[in-house]
Amino acid sequence: MPEQKSGYDVLVIGGGIAGEEAALNLANIGYKVILVEKDISIGGKMIHLSKVFPTLDCAACITTPKVSETARHPNISIFTNSEVKDIEKNSEKNFTATLVEKPRYVTEDCTGCQICEEKCPVVVNDQYQWDLVGRKAVYIPFSIANPRIAVIDIENCILCGLCEKVCPANAIDFTQEEKQTEIKIKSIIIATGYDLFDPELMPRYGFGKYKNVVTSMQMERQLVPTRPYNAVLRPKDGKMPDNIAYVLCTGSRDETIGNPICSQVCCMYSVKQAQLLMGALPMADVTIYYIHVRAFGKGFCEFYQQSKGMGVEFIKGKVGTIKENENGNLVVRYEDIEEGKVKEAEHDLVVLSVGILANTDFTTMFKNIKIGQDNFNYVKQTDELTNPAKTTIEGVFVAGTASGPMDIPDSILSAGAASAETASYLRRTNNEK
Amino acid sequence: MEKTIDYIKKKRTVSEEVKEKRKEFARIKKLILKTLETEPKTIPQIAKETQLPSDVVTFNLMTLRKYGEVIAGDIDDMDEYFFYKLK
Repeated sequence: MPEQKSGYDVLVIGGGIAGEEAALNLANIGYKVILVEKDISIGGKMIHLSKVFPTLDCAACITTPKVSETARHPNISIFTNSEVKDIEKNSEKNFTATLVEKPRYVTEDCTGCQICEEKCPVVVNDQYQWDLVGRKAVYIPFSIANPRIAVIDIENCILCGLCEKVCPANAIDFTQEEKQTEIKIKSIIIATGYDLFDPELMPRYGFGKYKNVVTSMQMERQLVPTRPYNAVLRPKDGKMPDNIAYVLCTGSRDETIGNPICSQVCCMYSVKQAQLLMGALPMADVTIYYIHVRAFGKGFCEFYQQSKGMGVEFIKGKVGTIKENENGNLVVRYEDIEEGKVKEAEHDLVVLSVGILANTDFTTMFKNIKIGQDNFNYVKQTDELTNPAKTTIEGVFVAGTASGPMDIPDSILSAGAASAETASYLRRTNNEK
Repeated sequence: MEKTIDYIKKKRTVSEEVKEKRKEFARIKKLILKTLETEPKTIPQIAKETQLPSDVVTFNLMTLRKYGEVIAGDIDDMDEYFFYKLK
């Protein structure tokens, strides 16, 4: 029989920027919130970014205070490394759900000293550096993780026991088991975010085969202070690149891979990265291959023009294939749309500006009710124009990129709408004045 | 004091693949560190000396750098490759 917990008003599923914003808004007006994050730290994808466009403010500097505020808020209970399943609607403002907490094998006594990590003999790909470098089987995911508690990747652990031997806080606990808790809530916000397109699904671009073809998230990591390498380097041979290409719309606006819509952020994050690269590698040439540059937001067009002024070359061209030369350089074959010709150009590093896809985790969370999906697999918004957070289930709301591609400011706005609609629902059904 | 590792050892077995991965990292680490004993080297130089693919050297060298066993030094005269040395 699972443990039971009640006394919460809202379950927020997802601890990224939208989930945190929605949870904080509700907690600040007195509602008790339970925030569930499947990863081992809250912060979502934003916490891994270098800077935000078009202001070039430090992403971590914006998100870290929000992460801390969420973690410290007396009205918010956070469960990381946890998932939600079997959501049932029993009546109005009466939901039950099962919270599944996976074991970390490290207790809250962990001080984050990382001595265990230093001693661990196992190295596997570091998913938080997008596989550019290794991590240990016992690890703290990244320096600004919250909670800053180590976790043991039990699937890759050789059970040598060294971590337990060296831990000065006696925080290693291999007796931990998966724990299921039944929770009662009155309302739910889905803020499960997005997935990134896997470019291995487009073999003609050579990602995975040619090591100097990287994704925009891998480049993003190379541009942060906690970067995987000592500088911006090619993964194949550690050479400092001096002629970098971006391929926009990789996995977006493409019927052939099942994602016909624009991801809304790729043009601007590529322009941002191009500007940051010109700062990091002043002698480098940066070329962006695009179909259309969609610089639609406040200050976006000026930001785009600024990159042109800095010397970024924009080629209106659709890239067909990428091939590797013996020296690791890459030959990009593309259709020059303005001239109507097929051309080839050589670059020493290619960045694929990968698109945003729906994270469909929400579809399997519900038990006695079905939540609607839109045509692009996102959470269906039943009243997009007047109640954008409303879903097909009364009392269940959506925030951020769980409802579709959007940038960070729009995700925060969407979370604001979701928290306002949730508060309104709770007041209405509580008959509060 | 009894260690909890004994508890999980009774419940789980470590796969051969995981054991192999650990051995492989230990082997590559030894090769890279040995080659850096004499003087600082670039990734292509390490790859040539160890006969390892250069991308394998990059990944493992950067992992050793992350955990403080190797540090980056100067860049070569062509401004292409950094030299790496033992800490």
